Amino acid sequence: MKNKVDIAIIGGGIIGLYTAYELAKRGVENIAIYEKKYTGSGSTFRCGTGIRQQFGDGANIKMMKRSVEKWSNIGEEINFPQLKMEKTGYLFLLYSEEEVDRYKKNVALQNSHGVPSRIITPEEAREIVSGLDISEVIAASWNPTDGKADPFLAVHGLVRVLKKMGVEINEYTEVKEIKVKDGAVEGVKTDKGKVKADIVLNAANAWAKILNEKLGVKIPIEPYKHQGIVTEPLKIGEIKPMVVSFRHGGAYLTQESNGGVIGGIALKYGPTWDITPTYDFMREVAKNFSRIIPALKYITIIRQWGGYYAETPDHNAAIGKIEEIEGYYLAAGFSGHGFMLAPAVAEGMADLITKGSSTLPLEFYDPYRFQRGELREQAIQMG
Amino acid sequence: MRLEEHPVIDFTRKRGKKVTIYFEGKPIEAYEGEPIAEALHAAGVRVLNFTPKGRPRGLFCAIGKCSSCLMKVNGIPNVRTCITLVEDGMKVERQHGLEPLPRDYKPPKWKDAEKIEADIIIIGGGPAGLMAGVKAAEHGAKVALLDENPILGGQLVKQTHKFFGKREQFAGVRGVKIAEIIAEEAKKKGVDIHLETSAIGIFPNGEGKLVTAVKKNKKLMEFYGKAVIVATGAMEKMIPFENNDLPGVYGAGAIQTLMNTYGIQPGKRVLIVGAGNVGVILAYQLLQAGVEVVAVVEAMPKVGAYFVHAAKIRRLGIPIYTRHTILKAEGKEKVERAVIAQLDDNWKPIPGTEKSYDVDIIALAVGLRPSIELLHQAGAQAIYVRELSGYVVRHDDRLETTIRGIFVAGDSSGIEEATTAMLEGKLAGIAAALFVGKANVKNAMEEMEKVRKDLDEFRSGPFGQRTRIGEEKVMIK
Repeated sequence: MKNKVDIAIIGGGIIGLYTAYELAKRGVENIAIYEKKYTGSGSTFRCGTGIRQQFGDGANIKMMKRSVEKWSNIGEEINFPQLKMEKTGYLFLLYSEEEVDRYKKNVALQNSHGVPSRIITPEEAREIVSGLDISEVIAASWNPTDGKADPFLAVHGLVRVLKKMGVEINEYTEVKEIKVKDGAVEGVKTDKGKVKADIVLNAANAWAKILNEKLGVKIPIEPYKHQGIVTEPLKIGEIKPMVVSFRHGGAYLTQESNGGVIGGIALKYGPTWDITPTYDFMREVAKNFSRIIPALKYITIIRQWGGYYAETPDHNAAIGKIEEIEGYYLAAGFSGHGFMLAPAVAEGMADLITKGSSTLPLEFYDPYRFQRGELREQAIQMG
Repeated sequence: MRLEEHPVIDFTRKRGKKVTIYFEGKPIEAYEGEPIAEALHAAGVRVLNFTPKGRPRGLFCAIGKCSSCLMKVNGIPNVRTCITLVEDGMKVERQHGLEPLPRDYKPPKWKDAEKIEADIIIIGGGPAGLMAGVKAAEHGAKVALLDENPILGGQLVKQTHKFFGKREQFAGVRGVKIAEIIAEEAKKKGVDIHLETSAIGIFPNGEGKLVTAVKKNKKLMEFYGKAVIVATGAMEKMIPFENNDLPGVYGAGAIQTLMNTYGIQPGKRVLIVGAGNVGVILAYQLLQAGVEVVAVVEAMPKVGAYFVHAAKIRRLGIPIYTRHTILKAEGKEKVERAVIAQLDDNWKPIPGTEKSYDVDIIALAVGLRPSIELLHQAGAQAIYVRELSGYVVRHDDRLETTIRGIFVAGDSSGIEEATTAMLEGKLAGIAAALFVGKANVKNAMEEMEKVRKDLDEFRSGPFGQRTRIGEEKVMIK
């Protein structure tokens, strides 16, 4: 482990890894990542794999549009073609006129940003996913350019390229404290020794606030327990898109590349550091999934796990420069959207660090908006 | 083919009512009370499904643990046919790779789970679980027991040989009979028994525990208790060799299930891999069922089984080849031949020593590993202990794990055999009754001490050495 680096990144999840990649691509040479367990272990490997542009506000739509562009090319770019975004779409099932009205507005906004989403009929929805029960569905919001990617391949591919680019990745190395001197970062103190650094990026998501609080930086990010399940594998292609139903407990589900159905519902606990899986979640998933796709009642859940949504009050991340401390940056509090947003956030953050600004709408995620009482409209969140 | 004559068991009396099931549209005769895969085997069906790569797969463990027997039953994919009982008119189909969703668009009617309450919930109705039930009930606790198999007794139900040891530990009694005796005892003591019920999770529930389960693949059940005893047994190990997934490569236990539990002849000619007690007892049982055993091969330089067992099969003319291993299975869609070879001192096959046997069954008796999945899910601390054959959970001298109120007994606490499983069951049963506040403290302490002595005695001597070393490693002091 080097004792001096230019940029120290705290957190070896998708945000930390992707930002390191974007920085290295811009010629930054001396980068190190500190991860308290193994890369991807925090929230990335526990995520629902979805990538979507169907948000209800311009900033998230813009960011996600950029993310999808980048997700589409990253595998080729890092010479790891196994990693590719599958553009299998997101299908929001709508059950009331009120829901349809809201999604029509969202679709108009999404279209104005060049996202080809549209409102479709229940019959069209069933053409996309043949197992759907559409007896109560009145419409659906559909975007074919949304999709999913494999978080294991994403982390593996990024780690591989980062090592080639000379980025130091320190696993099982926990940052205990960020060292500050005369109002500027001096480095990080880890459980394996101190490291001097001019710039520190806190990409620890759920754990970000622990380090912030030690510096007196108050940004509201709290860990909430969310869970996921995966079923026994089915024939590939049975449930291509991410299917979402707010009518059914905020359920989302899709088929992963091995054929298992992966997903969850919006049953959260917290704030808490406990991530033990609960029976209530398993039962409610079984109940709600089989109401969306009735044949799922025959399919066995084989794994269930817990993880954190690092939540902010408006379910949008806190991204930007920490004003009080020179050289300190934050990209955390992703509220369940870190995996999908990562490429755009990484690009924005790398530009912010190397050029001082980004063309992406990072100001939307201004960490000080909470302090100022300028909460954003809550991001569309599931799970 | 079904066994009509057997020196130990009268299967013609044991079989249930005749029913018809349909395999790939073809009618097949079966008997009520027998599982699908076993009925298919009796009708000569060896290939139960094809993997996504097109490889044929058949039965392997026959106790619901390995998923090698998954088939489509009445349109529902991935059914464990080795523990799902036949029903008249049932439609059974082979799976080819991954199955699509059933074409069913009818939203399900959700029924709330059936709730069972007791002081102690026991998962597993084998020798350990049953004995735990008997003892816990005897000491005043209300007990509910669940097991995913259709019959009580665990692996005892296929042990046609007589046991050794002390009289009070059923010496001289056949395993099948022991299963009947303790199952009867458990019922008499009021243990609430639920068969064909798979536990799917152990969760904390306030001060108590909740065990969730699924009955007959469809009904959700909730078992509420203050303590849980996990006695989920073990599963057969596999060894690597070419075509080890070919139908006809069976775990030793699966062969016993076929012939000793359901009276179905497993094959015509068998090669056995492994000369521990399981392997040589299996050889004798195969002879009883009229099956030819061509040889027993053992990679170790000496036979692991008790001398009496090994001597018996040698007398009957079955060769035991030590320092030999299986190289490959051959055959189209099912086992037709087995190739073995001698090993050198570095465990490498010696070229030129290959021997080929025409067999239709290769029996693997290469050991077991503890089934600790539920304990792991519940969060009990597990460690790898070679002497106990795999990952086992840490426990104290009352068999309580690192989670208060969760106990472990039998093979799921480390591989031994049925007598120690029963003793551990007794210990865990009394300890759990004490934990839930039902047992008389003095009586319980005294009896636990006695059981511990019996366990120590049984584990003394050279055959118990591995267990003693293993126990030392898992014990929380």
